[in-house]
Amino acid sequence: MDKNKTILIVDDIEINRMLLAEIFNDDYNIVEACNGAEAIEIMNGQEFSALLLDVIMPEVNGIGVLEEMNRSGKIEKIPVFLITAADSEEMLLNGYNLGAIDIIRKPFISQFLKCRVNNVVELYEHRNELERIVAAQVKKLSEMNQSIVETLATALEFRDGDSGEHVKRMCARTRTIITKVSNTYSEYHLPSKEIEKIVLSSVLHDMGKISIPDAILNKPGRLTPEEFEIIKQHTVKGCEILQSVPDIMNNEIYEYCYDICRHHHERWDGKGYPDGLKGDEITIWSQVVALADVYDALTSDRVYKKAFSKETAVNMICNGECGTFNPKLLAVFKELQDVL
Amino acid sequence: MDMLEELKALGVDTDGGLLRMNGNANLYVRMLGKFVGMMQKMEIPVDFDNNDYSDVAELAHTIKGTAGNLSLTPIFKAYSEIMDLLRANKPEEAKEVLKGIIPVQKEILNCIEKHSA
Repeated sequence: MDKNKTILIVDDIEINRMLLAEIFNDDYNIVEACNGAEAIEIMNGQEFSALLLDVIMPEVNGIGVLEEMNRSGKIEKIPVFLITAADSEEMLLNGYNLGAIDIIRKPFISQFLKCRVNNVVELYEHRNELERIVAAQVKKLSEMNQSIVETLATALEFRDGDSGEHVKRMCARTRTIITKVSNTYSEYHLPSKEIEKIVLSSVLHDMGKISIPDAILNKPGRLTPEEFEIIKQHTVKGCEILQSVPDIMNNEIYEYCYDICRHHHERWDGKGYPDGLKGDEITIWSQVVALADVYDALTSDRVYKKAFSKETAVNMICNGECGTFNPKLLAVFKELQDVL
Repeated sequence: MDMLEELKALGVDTDGGLLRMNGNANLYVRMLGKFVGMMQKMEIPVDFDNNDYSDVAELAHTIKGTAGNLSLTPIFKAYSEIMDLLRANKPEEAKEVLKGIIPVQKEILNCIEKHSA
């Protein structure tokens, strides 16, 4: 066995530390701590293959060390062996519940202890290596997923005369707004992983426009009521496209994509389309994409209009000139106006 | 007679102790010397408080674990019994066991000290 591995021995009695050090000295580097507080400090600056932990110690005892390792998440990475002279069953059970991998009773048989520790260290190494491989693969897949979605969205944008910059702006603004909303309002809180999925989904919000004839999509003048009805169909058409591709339906961003495609033109007062949803019947992510989309439309040149200044666009949105938005969302939007 | 043989005659499982040290007799002897030092700081009074003996239990626990690892069988067994009795709230009976082990313990510690000098 190579000696790149290090074991941390935590015991307030020097004799016990010496004995354990002797047993593991051939195979591991040894670091010793004489109480729980010292062990916690040492673990903050170094990685260990295993922790041999006494239970009853001054300052911070073994259970305290386990509790701290749970708080810091280290318990997932380092196997902990409680080495103890038969403490109460309740305490030992508590040790197991806090994530100790095994309990070794004193006096122990050296060879057995060595085998038990070595086996677990090997298992943890194997598991950690597998986790690293899986994480790298997931990252690669996720990047590929993102690149496919962005390519598709950019192709769509080219069709209605945009250079693809709209997609990038939508991503950035959706991320900025939804992160702030999530951090500001507990009822809208979202884990960062979900925020990333929403951001990726946001780029496909207009994918239904692929079904809208060029003559209407790129019409320089005002749309007739009939033409506007056709344009409105892009929300539903986008969902139909998503539903027609089984692989997308199994994708982890499908639910967000579908919801955003369908509801990014709904309005807080129920006067949007296609379903006339009201208030929080509209998911917060569709509300955010709707706001980012309106802001982008106002601040960009279109075939039928010139871009408004950012300040004018914010005022128009807040005055309700582009439909009604969630007041909480608008409060966050106003705070963010300088960075959007 | 050398230290280990003498300890064996006093009931210490020196073979088991040596096995635990990977056969390293020097280390075993060194650790026995440290045990003497540890015990000097861990003396339990035979008249400890019958109502508050958590400190006593902690000391007994430490002595039990360390004596066990050094295969000091008579000391390990006595302190295991003391621990069980204290856990069962029987301090008077624990004191009797303590009184019984003190002379044996002294003999074992004296033997180690004599040979370490």
